[in-house]
Amino acid sequence: MKPLTYITIMTTMMSGTMIVLMSSHWLMIWIGFEMNMLAFIPILMKNFNPRTMEASTKYFLTQATASMLLMLGITINLMLSGQWTVLKPSNLTSSSLMTIALAMKLGMSPFHFWVPEVTQGTSLPSGMILLTWQKIAPLSILYQIAPSINSGLLATMAIASVLVGGWGGLNQTQLRKILAYSSITHMGWMAIIMMYNPTLTLLNLAIYITMTLGTFMLFIHNSSTTTLSLSHTWNKLPLMTSMILMLMLSLGGLPPLSGFVPKWMIIQELTKNDMIILPMFMAMSALLNLHFYMRLSYTTTLTMFPSTNNMKMKWQFESMKKTVLLPPLIILSTMLLPVTPMMIILD
Amino acid sequence: MNLFTSSVITTLLMLTMPIMLASTSIYKSKLYPEYVKTTTSYAFVISTVPMMMFIYSGQEMIISNWHWMTIQSVKLSLSFKLDHFSMIFMPVALFITWSIMEFSMWYMNSDPYINKFFKYLLMFLVTMMILVTANNLFQLFIGWEGVGIMSFLLIGWWYGRSDANTAALQAILYNRIGDVGLIMAMAWFLTNLNTWDLQQIFMADHNNLNMPLLGLLLAAAGKSAQFGLHPWLPSAMEGPTPVSALLHSSTMVVAGVFLLIRFHPLIEQSAMTQTAILCLGATTTLFTAICALTQNDIKKIIAFSTSSQLGLMMVTIGINQPYLAFLHICTHAFFKAMLFMCSGSIIHSLNDEQHIRKMGGLFKMLPLTTTSLVVGSLALTGMPFLTGFYSKDPIIETANTSYTNAWALMLTLTATSMTAAYSTRIMFFTLLGQPRSNPTVMSSENNPLLINSIKRLLVGSIFAGYLMFYSIPPTTVPQTTMPHYLKLTALVVTLLGFIVALELTTTSHKLKFKYTSNLFKFSSLLGYFPAIIHRFMPSIGLSTSQKLAFTLMDSTWLENVLPKSISYFHMKSSTIISNQKGLIKLYFLSFMITLALALTMIKYHG
Amino acid sequence: MLKIIIPTIMLMPLTWMSKPNMIWINTTAYSLLINLITLSFLNQSNDNNLNLSLLFSTDSLSTPLLALTTWLLPLMLMASQHHLSKEPLTRKKLYITMLISLQLLLIMTFTATELIMFYILFEATLVPTLIIITRWGNQTERLNAGLYFLFYTLTGSLPLLIALLHMQNNMGTLNLLVTQYMTQTLLDSWSNIFLWLACMTAFMVKMPLYGLHLWLPKAHVEAPIAGSMVLAAVLLKLGGYGMMRITTLLNPLTNFMAYPFMMLSLWGMIMTSSICLRQTDLKSLIAYSSVSHMALVIVAILIQTPWSYMGATALMIAHGLTSSMLFCLANSNYERTHSRIMILTRGLQTLLPLMAMWWLLASLTNLALPPTINLIGELLVVITSFSWSNITITLMGANIIITALYSLYMLTMTQRGKYTHHIKNIKPSFTRENALMALHLLPLLLLSLNPKVILGPLC
Repeated sequence: MKPLTYITIMTTMMSGTMIVLMSSHWLMIWIGFEMNMLAFIPILMKNFNPRTMEASTKYFLTQATASMLLMLGITINLMLSGQWTVLKPSNLTSSSLMTIALAMKLGMSPFHFWVPEVTQGTSLPSGMILLTWQKIAPLSILYQIAPSINSGLLATMAIASVLVGGWGGLNQTQLRKILAYSSITHMGWMAIIMMYNPTLTLLNLAIYITMTLGTFMLFIHNSSTTTLSLSHTWNKLPLMTSMILMLMLSLGGLPPLSGFVPKWMIIQELTKNDMIILPMFMAMSALLNLHFYMRLSYTTTLTMFPSTNNMKMKWQFESMKKTVLLPPLIILSTMLLPVTPMMIILD
Repeated sequence: MNLFTSSVITTLLMLTMPIMLASTSIYKSKLYPEYVKTTTSYAFVISTVPMMMFIYSGQEMIISNWHWMTIQSVKLSLSFKLDHFSMIFMPVALFITWSIMEFSMWYMNSDPYINKFFKYLLMFLVTMMILVTANNLFQLFIGWEGVGIMSFLLIGWWYGRSDANTAALQAILYNRIGDVGLIMAMAWFLTNLNTWDLQQIFMADHNNLNMPLLGLLLAAAGKSAQFGLHPWLPSAMEGPTPVSALLHSSTMVVAGVFLLIRFHPLIEQSAMTQTAILCLGATTTLFTAICALTQNDIKKIIAFSTSSQLGLMMVTIGINQPYLAFLHICTHAFFKAMLFMCSGSIIHSLNDEQHIRKMGGLFKMLPLTTTSLVVGSLALTGMPFLTGFYSKDPIIETANTSYTNAWALMLTLTATSMTAAYSTRIMFFTLLGQPRSNPTVMSSENNPLLINSIKRLLVGSIFAGYLMFYSIPPTTVPQTTMPHYLKLTALVVTLLGFIVALELTTTSHKLKFKYTSNLFKFSSLLGYFPAIIHRFMPSIGLSTSQKLAFTLMDSTWLENVLPKSISYFHMKSSTIISNQKGLIKLYFLSFMITLALALTMIKYHG
Repeated sequence: MLKIIIPTIMLMPLTWMSKPNMIWINTTAYSLLINLITLSFLNQSNDNNLNLSLLFSTDSLSTPLLALTTWLLPLMLMASQHHLSKEPLTRKKLYITMLISLQLLLIMTFTATELIMFYILFEATLVPTLIIITRWGNQTERLNAGLYFLFYTLTGSLPLLIALLHMQNNMGTLNLLVTQYMTQTLLDSWSNIFLWLACMTAFMVKMPLYGLHLWLPKAHVEAPIAGSMVLAAVLLKLGGYGMMRITTLLNPLTNFMAYPFMMLSLWGMIMTSSICLRQTDLKSLIAYSSVSHMALVIVAILIQTPWSYMGATALMIAHGLTSSMLFCLANSNYERTHSRIMILTRGLQTLLPLMAMWWLLASLTNLALPPTINLIGELLVVITSFSWSNITITLMGANIIITALYSLYMLTMTQRGKYTHHIKNIKPSFTRENALMALHLLPLLLLSLNPKVILGPLC
């Protein structure tokens, strides 16, 4: 792909999201979604092969369906309220349709099937965009219509996502699939708190994006897509291995790391609303995620897989790749916990 | 009375000196055993001062110093009780230990770790002193456990031999069972009386004392090898002979009896406990006497006789005569230590031969040992005007004249006559007849270390009883008159034992031994006790711990119920969840179903 | 509090900047110095807490544990030297850094006043421990052990987080300095029962309670020496410490809820100590003996009398030092024979007499020989449980017997008997190892002289 084309496509995609974020008109929002989706497909297909082809088709089909459902919701809303302004939809059907459409876009269970396959089908950078940037726009709309969402619907989807994300990731050896399932879980966490304190959703999104970006960049840096290739990291980049360990534990939400902040806040908010069983359930199913992250860190950091001799000394060759963003991202995604009080200001 | 307390403290401090010096270079020199022995003898001399003063004035004292800690309302401090028991016991124990140490300088001469051995012996003595002088239960417990652990170390002295290790472990195990009783008693005293001080315990008002007293009885039974918990005592013969001598004469084994004597103010109040003690003691004394009859290991016979005498002491406590029991502890210490030393002399002379049927004719080879052995055995049987007579005879007289249970009395009397029988057996086999030992053995007893130590105890075995007998205060009014036959019972049964034993030996000496009778089997297999208790019980216990605790619970149930089943469940759900076929058609079908369901439910429900 | 925390943090740069031959010496020396600072806290002039800042305070319950923690770091460093001698320098430094960060987290855990902060730090200690176990352990089973360790603890403690947050919503604060003056009466309802369970499970898993203890033998056996030491000595005590702290908030429900757990730990005490009798694996034996000792602590804490708290505190400190010492001894055998099987190291007394003395003393303290603080702890626990119910004496008594048996079995098995030929040319014991054992034993002996400092706040 020519750089100029690439830049144009990227700009279109980003401006699509921007339009969604900024617009107060439902139609513009819809247009923003479409722009974003259509521009993202070439990004998915950057390295053209049948896998990416399949992935982008799947992506296109689900996103298009979701957009149409969203449009349906918008139209019903328009029919009943007579306005295009993004206020909270007064009608249950339209808000439910919108929620389902957005859940489809976010890849929440039970609309999650496409996420692991699309992520697996595309390259690591595209996967990174898919799992981070692409979540922003739908979540912002969900945030805006949050008060009118049927709480049962959202909670069901959230719980399903947490479970599916946990269970699905257990059975994977492909890093992109694992991260896809991890994103499903995180979407669950974000959705569950949407009804009570939408700001926490944003906090969770921010920290999720930081952690996922860091992880993806590390993987891109290693160009590793499987657990097996991760296990050879120690003889290429010894320092990175320990970073991967910390990132994985942070993604799993172990207490002293950043990943614990949103979990803690969400559980606190839920208990404030007199929910005990739900946060307990969520917390327990987060352990499933922790388990597969642990497995990754086992293969990467905590064991040294035997390898052929000519691979052992690779750490001597200095890596030429630029890693400007990595250090701040890693720091942000592991050491944010002590500044939690500052994040409560978001509240 | 300053001299009184200060000389007691001097005695105790002196004994710790060699232990302290173990960290200096003296410990490395060859003179260390000599040094330890001399210290003990000096300590003996000094300890006679307070003993004399006590006998003269009869004034009890308590030294209380170094406040250790206060736990809420319970104050624990280092305090010593200087009364009749501790004051008489200390010189006796020191005297005997002194002789035993001198003896072990000869016996353990070739041991490379003889210095360590002496340190251990001394520590053993010190813990016994702590036990005897303790004025509160905690301090007593320190001595109590210390004696147990030191016995473990000393019995297992030859640690290369697995028998010695087993015996050591056995000793600790049986002692530990007793400790549970003591701990229970301590717990009871603390919860009910809120004190561990002996005076306060005795002064407090009691109504039901059965529980702590049974605890104390259990403790005493464990330590003093009473029936049921007795097997460790003969096994402890695996240790070096000086250890056996020390263990069985004046320290360790009498600690249990001593504990009961200490607590006699409480035992007096509980008839039930007295009966229990009486019956236990009587059973022990008879059972172990029976076991002693057929043993062929010289040390084992003496060990069983110790056990039998301990049973007799228990009987004495059971008939509420603590002072007599205490007298028997002291007199018994002299001749029992001497008997062990004699057997050590024989064993060493015959090149580590312990089997009495391989001895014989030793009266020519070892005249002094022979003399002492005979005197010791006679003292043990209670021959008039030897040491044993002064304690054993009053005990049996008192038992005869008291309102005791006739059954227990019968057992005791039978055991007394058996004492004579097995003593005869030892003398007959080892001293008389033709030598049956290896003819190449070159032996002599011309070593001053051996001779002097035995001589000293020999004098003690003849006169000590006479001296001590006059110092004990009468607790109950003695029977002023009694019929002749009661007065003579003790003597008569002993003589009977002698005569029967001699007669049996002479008649059966030439006979061929055709088959073993059941009685003989019972006796020589120690009443089938080791077979049942030492084979069966541990086998059950260990297989339970392996099968139930480890295999069934830990490796199977707990593993399966928690981690395994959870991981299995998650594994199954994970495969179900993530087995996607990659067919977009199916996905959309599921999307549609979900959508339809969600909308319907919202429409009609929400 | 910063006077401990900052030096501890600065140990890390010290490690990384030291010369290669000085890393062990520097860190050991300076961590010993840090310990001296904590010793001054032992002097609690009055019953009140020693408030160090808004976030940290110590009282006479946490100070002994704090001192134990800081005391243990130099010991761990001393013990690990040989184990790591073949590793490259960077990994040595990384290992030391892990130990230091664990230390740092533990210091803060024991002194934290806010319960949520306590919780976070409590969980945070998992990470370095996990890394130590799984990265530097020896066998492949260590990976499984690490997972067991992490997931047992986390599954147990997540309900605690929710319970704590719930209580914070109800009470408005979770600051221990404040909550001790608040009377929260928990009525006997199902929801309160679950609250009680949620609060206690975390610590019961950590202790561990019988039934939830499977992680412990695995983790202890597979961990490298420093890991075993810190697990046995300090991390298990986190459970006891947490239970003591949190039960004040759970009155009067504990009186009623304690029964099943008391039964379980009394029973488990016998079970685990009888498992010890059949172990062939030295480290596993010591690990199971830890479980059985901790069962005593659980019983003591659940009885909830001043005496039982004293017993629990004393027993925790005593067991911390003793079991750590036993692990060190086991490790010294392991380093010589490369096997944890006891039968392969029998008869060592002939070859290493001084080591045999340490073995003897360690076994004797383990079986609670008077007048060591182990005995004081056990005796207090036995007494309180006896006054709680007379019948418990049978189980306690059985446990006392079995404890003595397995301790001496271990001693006899490794030290006594004839030595085997394959250990004829083992290395003699190093001064480092002897110093290590002495440093374990010294506090035990000194504390026996004045046990009052470790008897906790209620003494």
